[in-house]
Amino acid sequence: MIVCIAVVGHQSFTEADDALKLHHIVHCSLDVIDERVNNPKKTGSTLNETYLGLLYPTENYKVYGYLTNTKVKFILVTTHLDVRDADVRNFFRRFHSAYVDAVSNPFHVPGKKITSQTFAERVSTIVKSFGLSSAV
Amino acid sequence: MGKREVVESCMDNLMIEMVSAYCNQFYATKPELAARRIEAIGYHVGHQLSERYTMEHPRFSDHLEAIKFICKDFWSELFKKQIDNLKTNHRGTFVLQDNRFRWLTRMSISPTNTDLSQDSSITTIENKALQATSMYLYFPCGIIRGALSNLGIACAVSADMSNHPACSFVVRVKA
Repeated sequence: MIVCIAVVGHQSFTEADDALKLHHIVHCSLDVIDERVNNPKKTGSTLNETYLGLLYPTENYKVYGYLTNTKVKFILVTTHLDVRDADVRNFFRRFHSAYVDAVSNPFHVPGKKITSQTFAERVSTIVKSFGLSSAV
Repeated sequence: MGKREVVESCMDNLMIEMVSAYCNQFYATKPELAARRIEAIGYHVGHQLSERYTMEHPRFSDHLEAIKFICKDFWSELFKKQIDNLKTNHRGTFVLQDNRFRWLTRMSISPTNTDLSQDSSITTIENKALQATSMYLYFPCGIIRGALSNLGIACAVSADMSNHPACSFVVRVKA
């Protein structure tokens, strides 16, 4: 189950639930992303996994990161225990597509929070199908 | 979300009308402000387009890779062809030359359209014609600047139209 998806370009968050804890997780994962990026790697958009199981002995969160060419970071926090790599990649690809469409809105101010209703609907569709497709 | 298509002449007409509106109506007495506004519109468009066209692309390792992306993929998406010539001094200046810039192919900068009785020399007429055409170059300059800034490269872009229909864009990366 996906708990939170964050879009961090220059401070914008969407869909947080139990906000404070998740903000903390997201901030920690940003540090990890920065570490990974500063190590010279010639890979494409990075998909990194940061396991924060130790921080939260009761609940196990998995955090996935995705970095676009324009330095926008997507962070996905999920409580799903056996998530497949392919599913997460697929999720990020669709999310990226929805993000690009939302940003192409001429009324959207770059850097501000995304307020598009269509974007919110598309994201919830993608989130719902994420859970279903990974059930084999 | 399927692709929707528009006739190319719509784009040409929109460009012409945009320049005309800004130069003749909104900032009729201040051409530098009109130029800045048009360039800012281009910046916004370039910013958004680069977000879309870098989606499938692996990340760029340095400035040259980003400029090459602009010359090949970005330019093909916008103008259905690539930049014909790229020169650099390896110190932050790049010259992108398009031998047949699509948006200006149908534009005539022949000086015979202007009123000959007023001006004295041929050179001032040509200068005026070139100045009028240069207004149309601010939009593509803004697009390039917006795209590069979204890729993390702050720069200044200017254009040179002296051998029409070839057009060169000079990109100076801010250190």
